[in-house]
Amino acid sequence: MAIVVRRSWRIALLTVLGVLCTLLLIFPLYWVVISSLKNTTELFSSTPTLFPLQIDWTPYIANFVQNQDMEHYIGNSLQIAVGTMLLTLVLAAPVSYALARLPIKGKNGYLLALLVVQMFPSIMLALPLFVMFSQLGFINSLPAVVLAITTRTLPFAALILRPFFLSLPRELEDAAAIDGCTQWGTFYRIILPLARPGLITVAVLTFLMGWSDFLFPLSLISDDAKRPLTLGLYKFIGEYGTRWNDLMAVSVVSALPVILVFIFAQKYITSGLVAGAVKE
Amino acid sequence: MLLSTTAIPPTEVSKPSTALHPKRRRLGRTLGPYLFLLPATLFLAVFLLYPICTMLLFSFEQVNIGTLLTGNIPFVGFDNYRTILSDATFRSSLGVSLLFTLACLVFQFCIGFLLALLFNRPLPLVGVMRGSVMIAWMLPIVVSGTIFKWMLQSDAGIINYALQSIGLIHSPIQWLSDPKVALWGVIIANIWIGIPFNMSLLLAGLQGISAALYEAAVVDGANGINRFFRITLPLMRSTSLTVLMLGFIYTLNVFDLIYVMTGGGPVNATEVMPLYAYRIAFGEFDLGSGSAVATLMFLLLLVVSALYLFLIRREEAS
Repeated sequence: MAIVVRRSWRIALLTVLGVLCTLLLIFPLYWVVISSLKNTTELFSSTPTLFPLQIDWTPYIANFVQNQDMEHYIGNSLQIAVGTMLLTLVLAAPVSYALARLPIKGKNGYLLALLVVQMFPSIMLALPLFVMFSQLGFINSLPAVVLAITTRTLPFAALILRPFFLSLPRELEDAAAIDGCTQWGTFYRIILPLARPGLITVAVLTFLMGWSDFLFPLSLISDDAKRPLTLGLYKFIGEYGTRWNDLMAVSVVSALPVILVFIFAQKYITSGLVAGAVKE
Repeated sequence: MLLSTTAIPPTEVSKPSTALHPKRRRLGRTLGPYLFLLPATLFLAVFLLYPICTMLLFSFEQVNIGTLLTGNIPFVGFDNYRTILSDATFRSSLGVSLLFTLACLVFQFCIGFLLALLFNRPLPLVGVMRGSVMIAWMLPIVVSGTIFKWMLQSDAGIINYALQSIGLIHSPIQWLSDPKVALWGVIIANIWIGIPFNMSLLLAGLQGISAALYEAAVVDGANGINRFFRITLPLMRSTSLTVLMLGFIYTLNVFDLIYVMTGGGPVNATEVMPLYAYRIAFGEFDLGSGSAVATLMFLLLLVVSALYLFLIRREEAS
């Protein structure tokens, strides 16, 4: 009896500790949302309030209703994110399937190469891509940014998709082959529909990677009309270093896709992130 | 445009191939798989390998606006390397990078490990807790940087307020504007970003340890501390090595966070190697020297990965 009581005390104590750690770790996100809703006086008050005394939507109205710039930035970010997602899926699915299931020589070498290229510093690519795209007159273009980001997302996506293909039963391909289906036919009509959870994971992650990217748009885009939201946000830091509440409101909107994904599609991404990071 | 690669209508492909001569069909079966590799391989060759090779070449050439415009790019041997190695700000950026990376790794790893141990227990709500802490990882880094810039703000920042109200400090710390502490400001932000990554990989490792081992240890009378040092730690060695190596790569490559929080300042106090390379290449437009810095960074990463492979081999052999 005494042991059971001690055990349940311990569990209660550890749960409280866990909740406290979790709250501490998500506090910065809470704090940016709260700060964006405070008026300037309250924002700079010497005793910060944990919840706004008076909710003030001014920075949101000023930046997203009255000012059209932000809509351009959001539109550009969406184009980059969707473009990265589609291009990555189209390129990663066949290569990942082949590396999981088809008879290919040097498979391990290819997998190792995919792992190694993820190690390259992004700056190492930004530099030559800038020169290459300048020479082709391809600077200030959103497709160029999509191509650049896909060099980072493609190896990652191919590696996290592979376990999904590996887990499908082999009999499917054999049956399809007997029925006269070609390899591409089998892939397109049988394998892809079954690998949908994996494809969704990759779609969500690569969308977010495209949405969040900073270095490639920074080095490949100089025209303000083509900038994504991450650069728009940075412009705020330079231009209005003291207008913190505007900065907070734009930050919250930039974080919105991530927050939405966490609320609605969390199961897809947590497992994918871990799998992608440790695939041997 | 580029999206048409997998959109090959399956019927068009399957019809002629069923009618093919068996011998040709067999050839198709052997060569066919390589066609699946083709789109991605071509893409990576053009947009990843070719640029990397040009960059390696650039590091031995004098590349700037002038030479790029004329197309006459002189080969200068190791001059770019000599230039940067004799530049005091490069040597300082190397030191800053190493300190930044090591400090982040130590704290992220230790905090991540403790959290993983906690979240590995069958507590109520543990699934929600594991999930919620992951959000820091996926947030755009520009946003995380802005949040921490605000929290570390010296007058109205919550961090100074909290430290002052518990009496740890008496006057506000100039987190991001004092050259002596600025690096620690960005380190704090990067630790926050890195904790979920360390926690989740270490948790996956802990979940792979068989419960039977702990049960046997309990039967043998081992207490909690003994179990941790005799079972958990030794069995977590290879997972830890992997986490630390990946952490090293990610952290050495950190660019956005510092660019947003301090821009490398004050007086280069937070200028890590990627920022130095960016400033040289895109600020001073000396792409040759910028390439040399990126190449040195890559060599450093190669050395660390080789060390990792050596250690993990030895680990697996024992």
